[in-house]
Amino acid sequence: MNGGMAIRVEDLVVDYPTTSGPLRALDCPRLDFEGGSSTAIVGPSGCGKSTLLCMIAGLANPSAGRVAIGETIITALSEPDRVAFRKRAIGVVYQADNLLPHLTVIENIRLQLALCGDVERAGQRATMLLDQLDIGALSARLPDQLSGGQRQRVAIARAVIHEPAVILADEPTGALDEANAAAAIDLLLDAHQRLQATLLIVTHDPAVARRMERVIALRDGAIVDGGQLAHVG
Amino acid sequence: MGASSPMLARYVIADLVRNPRRSLSTTIGVVLGIGLFCAVMFFVDGLSSSMTQRAVAPLPIDMQRVVTAPLAADLELRLTVQPLGAAQPGDVIEVTLEVINNAPTPTNEVTVRSTLGQSLAYVPGSAMMDNRSLGAGAESPFARGPAKTGLNIGTVPPGTTTRLFYRAEVLQAGEITEASFASTFSTREAILPIRANAGQPIRIDELASLIRQIDGIAFAEQLSFADLAPGSLSAGSTLATPARVFGFDAGYLANDRTIRIVEGMQVPGEAMISAEAAEALGLAVGDLVSLELPDATAMRLAVSGIVDLTQARSLFSSRRGSDLETFIYIPNSVIVGSSQFAEIVVPAFERAATSRGDRLKAPPVREVDIGVQRELLDAEPSIALDQTQRIAAVVNGVAPGQDFLIDNISNTLAVARNDATTAKQMFAFLGVPGAMLAAMIAAYAGIVLGSTERRERATLRMRGASRRHLLMMLAFRVSCIIGTGAVAAVVLGYISAAMVIGHQSLTRASLASLALSGALGAIVGLMATGGALYVTGIRSIENEINQDRSRLWTRPHLWKRYYLDLVGILAVLLATAAVFALSGFEGIPGSVYQGQAVEIPLYLLNLPLGVWIAGCFFAGRIFSLILSRSPGASGRLDRPLALLYTSSLRRRSGALVEVAIILGLIVALATCMAVFTASYDGAKAADARYVVGADFRITPSPAAARAYLSDDAGSLHVPGVAAVTPVIYGVRNVILNSLRTSDPANLAALEPVAYGQITRPDDDHFSNGDAAQVLAELSRRPRGILVDREMAAFLRIVPGDTLDVLLARNTPQRVMVGMEVIGLFERLPGFPDGAQALMNLDLYEQMVPSARPAFFLAETEESSTTALAEAVAEFNRGPAAGGHLQVDTRLTALAQDQSSLAALNIGGLIRLVSAFALAMGTVTIAIFVFALMLQRRREYVTLRALGMPPRAIRSLIAAEAATAAVAGCAIGVPVGLIMAYYLVNVLRPLFILDPPYLVPHASLGLVAASILTATAVTAMAASSLVNHMRATELLRDE
Repeated sequence: MNGGMAIRVEDLVVDYPTTSGPLRALDCPRLDFEGGSSTAIVGPSGCGKSTLLCMIAGLANPSAGRVAIGETIITALSEPDRVAFRKRAIGVVYQADNLLPHLTVIENIRLQLALCGDVERAGQRATMLLDQLDIGALSARLPDQLSGGQRQRVAIARAVIHEPAVILADEPTGALDEANAAAAIDLLLDAHQRLQATLLIVTHDPAVARRMERVIALRDGAIVDGGQLAHVG
Repeated sequence: MGASSPMLARYVIADLVRNPRRSLSTTIGVVLGIGLFCAVMFFVDGLSSSMTQRAVAPLPIDMQRVVTAPLAADLELRLTVQPLGAAQPGDVIEVTLEVINNAPTPTNEVTVRSTLGQSLAYVPGSAMMDNRSLGAGAESPFARGPAKTGLNIGTVPPGTTTRLFYRAEVLQAGEITEASFASTFSTREAILPIRANAGQPIRIDELASLIRQIDGIAFAEQLSFADLAPGSLSAGSTLATPARVFGFDAGYLANDRTIRIVEGMQVPGEAMISAEAAEALGLAVGDLVSLELPDATAMRLAVSGIVDLTQARSLFSSRRGSDLETFIYIPNSVIVGSSQFAEIVVPAFERAATSRGDRLKAPPVREVDIGVQRELLDAEPSIALDQTQRIAAVVNGVAPGQDFLIDNISNTLAVARNDATTAKQMFAFLGVPGAMLAAMIAAYAGIVLGSTERRERATLRMRGASRRHLLMMLAFRVSCIIGTGAVAAVVLGYISAAMVIGHQSLTRASLASLALSGALGAIVGLMATGGALYVTGIRSIENEINQDRSRLWTRPHLWKRYYLDLVGILAVLLATAAVFALSGFEGIPGSVYQGQAVEIPLYLLNLPLGVWIAGCFFAGRIFSLILSRSPGASGRLDRPLALLYTSSLRRRSGALVEVAIILGLIVALATCMAVFTASYDGAKAADARYVVGADFRITPSPAAARAYLSDDAGSLHVPGVAAVTPVIYGVRNVILNSLRTSDPANLAALEPVAYGQITRPDDDHFSNGDAAQVLAELSRRPRGILVDREMAAFLRIVPGDTLDVLLARNTPQRVMVGMEVIGLFERLPGFPDGAQALMNLDLYEQMVPSARPAFFLAETEESSTTALAEAVAEFNRGPAAGGHLQVDTRLTALAQDQSSLAALNIGGLIRLVSAFALAMGTVTIAIFVFALMLQRRREYVTLRALGMPPRAIRSLIAAEAATAAVAGCAIGVPVGLIMAYYLVNVLRPLFILDPPYLVPHASLGLVAASILTATAVTAMAASSLVNHMRATELLRDE
């Protein structure tokens, strides 16, 4: 277990090139997340929520600014170092499950551990986690043999199997019915508490947002509410 | 969505422009497909355009108008019929036939024949000769018996007329003309009947002059020749061999480059003599030579020149229809002017012919040799043939009925036309795989790219687009792609054909022919690729739009479900068995010289096509089985890359098998072409060596300063030459006498073992299946002789029989030798005019001490082309420096092989197809790799998000692409090898010898390396995109 890591965003600017010039997707002067906290990021579609999450996950480079996770300034890392950091410290869940279609449930989960180099305990931990998530019986199935809710559970299991310090979830319940959505949030919160991980959830669902410790609202790429509240430094 | 057609068209165009990579990759497949077909069609046009040139190039004389008028031919039969016109039954017609001899010599045994039509009957007793009754018989004396033989009126003295008369009664009403009384005459000198009222025979110089005025004629020159008896040629001493006297002028000499003046020149009133005669008689320019003519008169002429006639095919080719073009050389020849021949030689023959009791076996041949204006001939042999046939008809129209025309050029072009047709069919067939491949690639591109358009189509449907709208859009899209592709393809086809055969060859082809080829290629290509794109597009639209994109299982293809690959293989096996049982691979070899077009059983090309398609799909089935049963790596968590790779191969093998089959088809085609090229080149080289008999052949010129004896073989050794052996040879130089019959034959006397080592004859061509053993046996038995199988059958002899052989036939040295037949053979290398018997050189020289080798065969120390060129250069600097030794090599023979289908640029076509195949292979790999990127980009971004290094992701992409490429090669190479086996056998009639099956390892390595390089390059290019994928969008995308 890594324990939660604080996240600091400073002067983060993301511009996307368009035919009519660069389009500012995100402009975030300062934003801090306490280690082990849970935060919901809300706002209308296209306001920059997912872009913010993507920058924190180190999946893309910002136009300007920096993101620090714990002591690591992830935006300053080279791509290989960023990849190495991400696989160790970050777990990501998306609206789409993004399971690898040619791997079974258990293989999808073990792959995450294998990538982390934690091979020895991989089998045991994966089985235990699947049992915890009540999908142990499905371990040999391929993703297209599962329901949407089951797939999202597997995706959550894959995101937390390596006990990351930061869990990032981008609309994890967007494609699920109410019961499955609630179950998915339960799983994420359970992992957040169990691992003491920092949890950031992008969501449109007020019910989901209410279950988080903090809520940040974005509009047109800027923080309009909650930013100062989250600021602890 | 009430979208109109223009709106849909605009949308499609905007979409094509918006997605340039997708549009381009599909269009490239179309361009390559149509381009290949157009290139093949243009290639055939270019090739056909040079076939006229190739075909007529070896011809020394285009047409020969041989005069048939008999000697002492100033005899005329005049027919008069009274009355002419309408006649009623019972009317009587009077027929008068006057035999008029205008010549100064009598004409002997004149036979007059006059037959009546069905509506006429002879009036019994009405026949008279010079007013004397010919009897009261009921049968006409001018048409007696069933054969309607005529009346022999005996000799008609010079300057006299014999008058014949008879009456005929009309049986049925009708028109009476002279043709109602078909009348001819023949004489002892002119056996062939000559029609009545044929007019005066035209003089040969007049005939030449009239022919010269015909449009399209380049030259028309007189040529006369006559054979003289042994002993006719003398100058102090007398030659005991037969001689030939030619009559032609400077104009003829200028147009026949095969007549080589060694010394002096042609001077009117004087004679040129052959080098052999000059040497035998010890003559030099300025000396006198004497010719004794058949009437015992003599011509004494000053020698103005010495000529080498050994290559003068036009002078010594047979004029007989049965063996036209057979070269029968007469070493002792004299050339005089046309007027001398007409004024002195012909009258001498006439006098001899008309002397009582004498009969000439061979009267003088008089002809006009004609050359057409070849530059006016169309490049296409069929059109050129029409042109030459029209010219021939006009030539025949001059003084008709007195001669016959040997139309060499039309005969040659007829063969070339048939060859061109065969070539077109064959080449079109060889182009078919390319077009099929292009259609498959287009379909493949359609499938993989179609899958990326699902989201777009789903959006359109949600906005109200109906199935009809989607189909219309598909039609627009396909039309745009293939329309654009077609234009580019025609240009590409033209450029690539021009690169292979040269721009000049293409420009020689007619514009109409090129336009037709372009249109045909475009239509076939459009149909194939357009159809493939449209059908796959429809299938894609018909699929359930909302189906899960990650679904792994798809319904197996039709061929897999119904085992069509196995059915195809079974069909090929059965067909192969039938073809072998029926000797179906034996076509008819062709030769322009022999007037025979190559006949290739083109329908058998379906066999390699069957092997190609069924073989690759069957191999794909096996590959699929191997993948599905391969061990997984799920337990190997220490190697996540291996886990991903093996799982992907096992659980979604469909895409990999699809691309492996397409690559297999491409590699198989390229392999087949490479093997066929090697075998074809090997066969052509073997054929050329077979014709020459060795690496090179040395023929002493008759004008050489000294005689070359068999012992001179040692002096012909130069650096780079391993062995030289002498061969005594001649056409019809011996007579073989068995107990039953005899026949003239071409005999070669040689050193059997050396000959065998140098020429390397085929074992299958000898009776016991071992050439070396048979030749060694001949060497051990001095009086042994080997005989051609056909000749042995004619003579009814078998090994062990004895044979009396008359050596040095027609020479004073002729001698009969008893020999024992020790073996039979079928064919021998080194004798283009054929050899029917083989004996030991030592015995021949012992029996005919004056014999000299006709040529020497030489083998180089190394078999390479460079070694041969160096040896020949060395030889030309050394023994052949004086210019009296002619050297023919297997390379020059190869270059001269211009006139048959074997000379077609099949190698060029194969290079063309191979280049396109490799381009298509590259495109296929690129489509596959980029399709991986399109279809699996979310997977790759997910792996990045999970922490997999980009390098590892790139390795994964490269590994899958490499697996496809290696599988494609593994499928394609063996299938291509089998395909080539069939192709080589189908095209066997193109060659003299059975073509070898050669596997060019370097070329195959190049094919595989090209495919793997293309894989590596495209995989690297595609995987570099991994870093640029927009993770945010892709990972959120549902």
